[in-house]
Amino acid sequence: MTNAALHEASPRTADSRIDRALATRLAAIVGDKRVLFRPSELLTYTSDGLPSYFKQPGIAVFPGTRDEVIAVVRELVPLGIPFVARGAGTGLSGGALADGVVLIGLNRLNHILSVDADNGIAVVEPGVVNARLSRAVAEHGLYYAPDPSSQTACTIGGNVAENAGGPHCLKYGVTTNHILALTVLLPSGEVITLGSAAGERDGYDLVGAFVGSEGCFGIALDITVRLSRNPEAVRTVLADFMSMDSAARAVSAIVATGIVPAALEMIDQPTIRAVESSIYAAGYPVDAAAALLIELDGAAAGLERDVSTVEALCASNGARTVRIARDDVERARLWQGRKKAFGAMGRISSHLVIQDAVVPRTRLPDVLAQIHEIGVRNRVQICNVFHAGDGNLHPNIPYDASDADESARVHVAMREIMGACVSAGGTITGEHGVGIDKLPYMEKIFSDDSLATMCALREVFDPHHRSNPGKVVPVHSCREWHAAPSARAEAT
Amino acid sequence: MARRTFGAGRGHVTALAVDGVASSAVAAIRDRVRDAASRRVPLRVVGAGTWLDAGRPTAHAEPLPVRDTAGIVAYVPGDLTLTAGAGTTLAEVRDATSKHGQWLALDPYGSDEGTLGATLATASSGPLATAFGTPRDLTLGVEFVTGAGVIARGGGRVVKNVAGFDLTRLMIGSWGTLGILTEVTVRLHAKPQCDETFALTLASDADVARTRELLRRMPFTPYACEIVNGRLAQQLLGVDELTALVRLGGNDEAVTAQRAALGALGEPRPVDPAVWKALRQCEPSDALVLRLSQLPSEIGRTWSEASAIADSCAGTLLHAAPARGIVRCIVPATETNVAWLHRAFRSPMMSTRVGERMPAALWTELAAPPTGDAVSVGIKRAFDPQSILNRGIRGEPA
Repeated sequence: MTNAALHEASPRTADSRIDRALATRLAAIVGDKRVLFRPSELLTYTSDGLPSYFKQPGIAVFPGTRDEVIAVVRELVPLGIPFVARGAGTGLSGGALADGVVLIGLNRLNHILSVDADNGIAVVEPGVVNARLSRAVAEHGLYYAPDPSSQTACTIGGNVAENAGGPHCLKYGVTTNHILALTVLLPSGEVITLGSAAGERDGYDLVGAFVGSEGCFGIALDITVRLSRNPEAVRTVLADFMSMDSAARAVSAIVATGIVPAALEMIDQPTIRAVESSIYAAGYPVDAAAALLIELDGAAAGLERDVSTVEALCASNGARTVRIARDDVERARLWQGRKKAFGAMGRISSHLVIQDAVVPRTRLPDVLAQIHEIGVRNRVQICNVFHAGDGNLHPNIPYDASDADESARVHVAMREIMGACVSAGGTITGEHGVGIDKLPYMEKIFSDDSLATMCALREVFDPHHRSNPGKVVPVHSCREWHAAPSARAEAT
Repeated sequence: MARRTFGAGRGHVTALAVDGVASSAVAAIRDRVRDAASRRVPLRVVGAGTWLDAGRPTAHAEPLPVRDTAGIVAYVPGDLTLTAGAGTTLAEVRDATSKHGQWLALDPYGSDEGTLGATLATASSGPLATAFGTPRDLTLGVEFVTGAGVIARGGGRVVKNVAGFDLTRLMIGSWGTLGILTEVTVRLHAKPQCDETFALTLASDADVARTRELLRRMPFTPYACEIVNGRLAQQLLGVDELTALVRLGGNDEAVTAQRAALGALGEPRPVDPAVWKALRQCEPSDALVLRLSQLPSEIGRTWSEASAIADSCAGTLLHAAPARGIVRCIVPATETNVAWLHRAFRSPMMSTRVGERMPAALWTELAAPPTGDAVSVGIKRAFDPQSILNRGIRGEPA
């Protein structure tokens, strides 16, 4: 885009402050080519990895340096203009979408600033792609453990915002367990440092509070992560079952032994068939009702013993076959099928809804049976591919959004599934975040007082809700906080 | 709708997580806080009352006991999670979980008579943190009463959860200054097939860094590895020698291989695992305790700075977690030692200094209050508007 183009059209937003003059001022910071405001240019930024939601930002701006990010946000402060930060746009909760905001794309801030191999620490910019960090530190025998399925595209900044998980988080923990420190740009334009990589950090766990705040507390300008040592040995096991129930029982049995697999994933028949029909075919048996993909890693000594225990537990719970990947090529193929399963579902229908609820692990067989019943009753096809080891379900429903009747049935089924998971003592999201998608369910698991307390925390970082407005806590909950007797007492 | 079932040792105890439904014990705490807030009277939260001299000196305050919240609320062994009232002691958790071959892998210094709530509120951990992390890694959800008398929950009862802002981690390590923990859900681990402890005599202080280097290169992480100075080794093992205590866990093949790998450092000799309990309880009740830390690669220098304290303060016990880069210093609170530390703290150190327990005068020299930044001050104001909870313990104006 050229300066001339900047004068051709105005941003299409109801917020009159987001206008041509603002676009020109932002272009002065980041360069003309790094500011978009034509609807056609913004189309990419109206949705994320969950194509059910569309929000129209007024302007998208793509700073290339930390100083440019700071300058952009400071430009917005006096006008009180809201903004939303975006990484790769692979999120699955509508977390980086908002109407009438300035969207700040961080994917150009993609530098690995430093690697301290001795201490297993790296400092990265927010736009560094997850898998690229692991590749960059591989020469030191290290890797970055959280591995969302989108890891070849998603950014560490986005992972921090959503407290992202992944299959290997069963053993190694989610993003928050791997973040040591952050430099954060507050919505006020102030830059602060949270946490410390060197020595204990006394005081409130502000790193813990920031990670998973879904972009509502500010923008991470740099992120200090903990790197993990590559395991000495890895064994990947594929076990297939003739019923979901027996697979779920095998999961419970493995968890109960105390062996902590690096990953313990379940894939049901509809998903297996979608994967096997796609370019991601992994060799999963298409006639199986379910398969478990189990990975054990660590020191070589003693690992085979654990593999044998897992094999025996699968067999005693009804596994038809149990196969161990012979080499890294077979292992990579088995994992490709799992990690690309969402993409493979695109073969079934044009649209897809994805859930992310978590249930207590002993409740898996029971909840999976309920999900099946909900699918049958609502005449929708449910594809389950999920992190069984931590009870983190991903019941996905492919559908055609242009079919109003089918869409309605899908949404009824999704609500019922969420209800079943919450009733089982679970939660509404294990790794994708609340975003827009889970917002209506927050009141199912948190009281008004809990939501209002969360809102109070947000307002310390962002008093005017300018950073990613309308996420995580329903807006009316915040209003209730202001109306609550305790809040009134605070004001006196 | 409240389905709480109190009373440890019932085996499989379950209760639905119901936010917005408070037990009578929690409601009583809420009412007490509201009353204190209306009178602007500071409260001192009391769990088992075993560690009330920890942290900066608190303002004169009314005690607020939370022991009435004690009891296991939900424990399904197959889920490897446990929900309990904050007043539940670590011993009660240990007794309930050990029946099922499980444990809460948290061994903070002190005794198991301390409460879960105090352990989490102070983010206290012990030697097992080398393998299992600290309370922030092991806590899944909390219920608490804010200083405004509001009952709130963060997190949940499942092992993975990103719903809502992370009030759980905010509460952990906040020393009761943002809210009074009333219920917590923790992650459990299954006990390993083998759990063995070995001692290795180290030749010199240079071996402290060498131990860390060896740990870094090993393909496994020991459950615990603490290096104790000669004086502490004398107290624990009866030998006045710099000693590494190493705890190995796993199946028998793994532990055998791990033990062999330790040979690179010295000859591992089996010792009674009771040594860990003795280490946790080694400090005299009136000792002054602080921790020094830097990056783990600097553990040699951190140990040197700690040794300088030990060399000048008679009777000082030191123990280090080399993998974590932390040295804990236990100094007898004699007049001479306090005076020496007073001078020493005025000089900068390479290490970060974190206090656990010390006389009032030393705190101001030790380090700036850790919650003095604008965001921390804002959070304190939002959660405890009258500043009635454990006032002063984090250094905020008493």
